[in-house]
Amino acid sequence: MSIAGFLDDSIAVAENEFRLFRRNRSAILISLVVLPFFFTASLGAGRGGAGTTYYPTANIPIAWVDNDNSLASIRLWHSLATSHDFRNLIEGYTEQGALAELGTKRIYAVIVVPKGFQNDLENGYQARLILYTDDSEPGVSDQIQATLTTYTQNFDPNVDVQPYLSQLQRQSVAGVGIVTKGAIFAGFNVGLTTVLAIVQIFAGFYEIAGGMSREREDGTYARLLVSPIPIGSIMLGKTLFDVLLSVIRTFTVLAISVYGYGARPNTDILTLLSLSLIIALVTMGIGFVVAALKVGQRAVVIIEFFLILFLFAFSGLIIDSNLLVGASQVISYSLPFTYAFDALKRTILLGRPLLSLTFDLEYMIGSIVATYGLAFVLLHFSRERLIK
Amino acid sequence: MPEHAIVTEALTKNFGHFTAVDGLNVRVAKGELFGLLGPNGAGKTTTVRMLCTLIEPTRGTANIVGYDIREQAAEVRRQIGVVSEGVSLYKDLSIEENLKLLSTLYEIPRPKAEVRIRELMDMFAFREKATRLVGALSSGWAKKAMICAALLHNPQVLFLDEVTSGLDPQSAIGLQDFTRKQCEQGVTVIWTTHYMGEPEKICDRVGIMFAGRLVQVGTPDELKHSVSELSVVEVETPGLSGGQLEKLKSRLKEMRQVYRVKYADPKLEVSCERTDTLAEEVASTLLEVGARIRAINTKDPTLEEAFIALTGGEEEIDRFLESADRKE
Repeated sequence: MSIAGFLDDSIAVAENEFRLFRRNRSAILISLVVLPFFFTASLGAGRGGAGTTYYPTANIPIAWVDNDNSLASIRLWHSLATSHDFRNLIEGYTEQGALAELGTKRIYAVIVVPKGFQNDLENGYQARLILYTDDSEPGVSDQIQATLTTYTQNFDPNVDVQPYLSQLQRQSVAGVGIVTKGAIFAGFNVGLTTVLAIVQIFAGFYEIAGGMSREREDGTYARLLVSPIPIGSIMLGKTLFDVLLSVIRTFTVLAISVYGYGARPNTDILTLLSLSLIIALVTMGIGFVVAALKVGQRAVVIIEFFLILFLFAFSGLIIDSNLLVGASQVISYSLPFTYAFDALKRTILLGRPLLSLTFDLEYMIGSIVATYGLAFVLLHFSRERLIK
Repeated sequence: MPEHAIVTEALTKNFGHFTAVDGLNVRVAKGELFGLLGPNGAGKTTTVRMLCTLIEPTRGTANIVGYDIREQAAEVRRQIGVVSEGVSLYKDLSIEENLKLLSTLYEIPRPKAEVRIRELMDMFAFREKATRLVGALSSGWAKKAMICAALLHNPQVLFLDEVTSGLDPQSAIGLQDFTRKQCEQGVTVIWTTHYMGEPEKICDRVGIMFAGRLVQVGTPDELKHSVSELSVVEVETPGLSGGQLEKLKSRLKEMRQVYRVKYADPKLEVSCERTDTLAEEVASTLLEVGARIRAINTKDPTLEEAFIALTGGEEEIDRFLESADRKE
């Protein structure tokens, strides 16, 4: 074939693609509107875009422990507390008490002013400020440290109101150095939390929504419907099988993470398995809801893609939920997967007992009940729509 | 025990503004082989789906062996077997595996199920193919597999929806014989088809459905003779051109209502509103358009011709099919 002929064919194919695309309203909507606009606009606004000034650490609860009780430490507290960046500094903790609260989500960092802080500054030494962070929230920790640095680098104990210096104005003078402390996680521990959740979501959703859709298209769902089996049994049967797959998946991910990448989860297998299955069940519930909407197998793949993208965007995988503001944070906090990721981090990384994460568990179990309930009602009432 | 296996009362199904089945009233006796005859889109499958509890009627109701399809759907499902285009077996399972699954759903005790599965396998000569995946079976065998599945739990009522479609003539005849035997054993069968010849051969009674309505019910003979206003002539006229055929149609239409003109060289069939002079009229018109006539006979109408007359003629059916296609 000549080059011209080859190009002609290619152009013909491209034209055909364009024709198909033009006739496919959902493809137009997804690729040209939803993807570029929705995610950029919502996450942009969520991080203080659209003309507003964004202070990522402003509302994050941070414990302030002043062991020096000096004029310098009070001035530092004042300069932080009156800034836009640290509006939620909580006083009254002892150092030990504050550290015990780390990882509970009640506080995300502890700033400790050690004894001798003022003395060091007066004697021309670099004074130390100790920052403990919740390392299961790496994004939040980094942000707190970076913001705190802008206030401490040029701290002058003799000035009542500290000037806020921009990046360019900063001078390198002896001031307050930050000593950061936190748990050190084995290489793949953080990865394990993410992989475990994503694997269950990816697989569970497709197995349920895709499987139901295939059954509907093949006519086997109608075969079940003309038999005496109730819809609840169909749902349960599919769930049980998928739970079995989820257990296998959990152990596979765990084995690869531990033996292949050196992950050392700070929790027991039962906790890990329970959380993994809770995530799988929430996903399956959503899968059943989607299946009840009479979507085809191709649509299931598209929805799955969006679901994953949505979760990456809003469940704290790309940007920590705590750093989001406004509607984006509301979306994030309404997603059960946000709590699932959170629970995974708190157990795998920090070793917190599963039952201490009461709200996370309640929210996730509530989501399972809600999605399964909704799916059941939809499947029951859309019975005839689901027949080929 | 109820006298009738199936009783429908004003059974109606609307899809939006479209009425697929309109006030269906029919009674089917136990052990009867009842045919539902009609073109595609006439409402046969929708009727079957309502009776199988797959879809809910908009109005009216039906009883299957004494159980109400609305109130006792689960019980109805235990009493029926269904073979329909949209109701399939798992293609990735063997026929045996499919039957085992269904035996569990129908709560047949395992030993009993095993005996029944063997029985069905023998009945349909499935033994060698028992472990073959359903997806790998030919359409004839796949259909047999579906019938096995429908019969597994010894249903009292069997719905066979367009069951011979896609089958070779030999398999279709075999299936018809088998169905008759089932009826002799007391199973009530609803046989829906758009093949006009089938119900005439096997059904005890036939209901003619058209545009969602049950136009007429009776034995095939009753239906043929119910159209007292129908005359049919058969002419042997070789080499009739399209133009000649069109002229013939228009001339005849000027004289009376024509239900159908069918030509397959050399045989021409004309069915019209009743007249004693149809043969003469057709003969003279054929001669007028320059056709040759070898033989001409009047004949008794077939069920197909009765169907066409009862539903308002071939053109009316064509119009209906076009509108049904548009709706799809």
